[in-house]
Amino acid sequence: METKTVVTNRAAVRPRKKRRNQLPFAIVVFLGVIYVAYLLAGKSAGLAISWIFGICFGVVLQKSRFCFTAGFRDPILTGSTSLTKAVIIAVAIATVGFGAVQYAAASKGGAIAGSISPAGWHVAIGSIMFGIGMVISGGCASGTLMRVGEGFVMQWITLFFFVLGTLWGVRHWAFWQRVFFDGAPRVHLPSVLGWPLAITLQLVVLGALYIVADKWGNRQKD
Amino acid sequence: MVEYRLDCLGEACPVPLLKTQKKMAELQVGDILVVEVDHSCAMKNVPEWARKEGYNVEIEETGDGEWDIYIEKTK
Repeated sequence: METKTVVTNRAAVRPRKKRRNQLPFAIVVFLGVIYVAYLLAGKSAGLAISWIFGICFGVVLQKSRFCFTAGFRDPILTGSTSLTKAVIIAVAIATVGFGAVQYAAASKGGAIAGSISPAGWHVAIGSIMFGIGMVISGGCASGTLMRVGEGFVMQWITLFFFVLGTLWGVRHWAFWQRVFFDGAPRVHLPSVLGWPLAITLQLVVLGALYIVADKWGNRQKD
Repeated sequence: MVEYRLDCLGEACPVPLLKTQKKMAELQVGDILVVEVDHSCAMKNVPEWARKEGYNVEIEETGDGEWDIYIEKTK
C-alpha cells in the first residue's frame, strides 16, 4: 500500500545511542508470561485464558499500530482514513461475532450476553468529552495501555489520571445512575427488529461508513 | 538544499505531526526536514501524511524506539 520513496542528498544516519540487543529481554519476558499463566491456571482456567488473550491483544495492537484515537482524529487532521476503515472493519467483525454469541444464548432461552448500555444524550456528551481528552492525552484506553508497555513515559501520566478519573466516576456512580441511566432506554436492536434485520442493518450502515471513509481518504487535495 | 531537524522526542501524537505540518510549510522546495520521534503513532501518521502530500519520505531507526523521519519537500 505504501510506496517507497527515496530522499536524495540526505546526510548519512548517525545512530545516537548504542543499541542493545533486546532478544534476551524478550526471552525472559516470554518465559515470565508463561510462568504467570501457569500460576493463574492453578487458580482458574478463565484467568489464565484472559491473561494470554490480553497479552496477544497487546501484541496485535502494538504491531498493527492500531489506534482508535487516530481512527477518529486522522480523517480531520491528515485526511488519512486507513485507521478509520480498520475500526469500521473491527466493529463489523465484532457485530457478526457478538451476534453469533448472543443468538446462541438467546435461542437457548438464556439472557443476552454483553453489556447493553442505556442510550441517551449523555452518551453523545460523554463521547465528545472523551474524544477531546483522548486527542490531547495522546491515546484512548487501549492505545494508552499499549504505549505504557512500549515505555513512553508521557502516557504513564495519562494512565495514572485515567485510573484516577475512572475511580472518581465510580465514586459518584450512584448519582449518574439515578440522574441519567435509570431513565434512559436500553435498546437491543435484534430484540426489537429481529435478528436478520438488525444484523443486516448494522452491517449496511458500517459498509456505507466504510465507503464514505474510503472516498474521503482518496480524495485529491486541492 | 538545507537540512532542518525537528526534535519531537517525548511528544505524543498528534503533536509531532502538527509540528511537521507547520515546519514543512516554511521549507523551500528541495529542502529536507528530519523529524526525530520516539512515539510509535507518529511513526505511522507523519510518513503517511507526507506521502499523501507527495513528498519523498524515508525512515531510519536511530535507537531502540527512536526514529528519524526524512522528508524531502519536492514541490
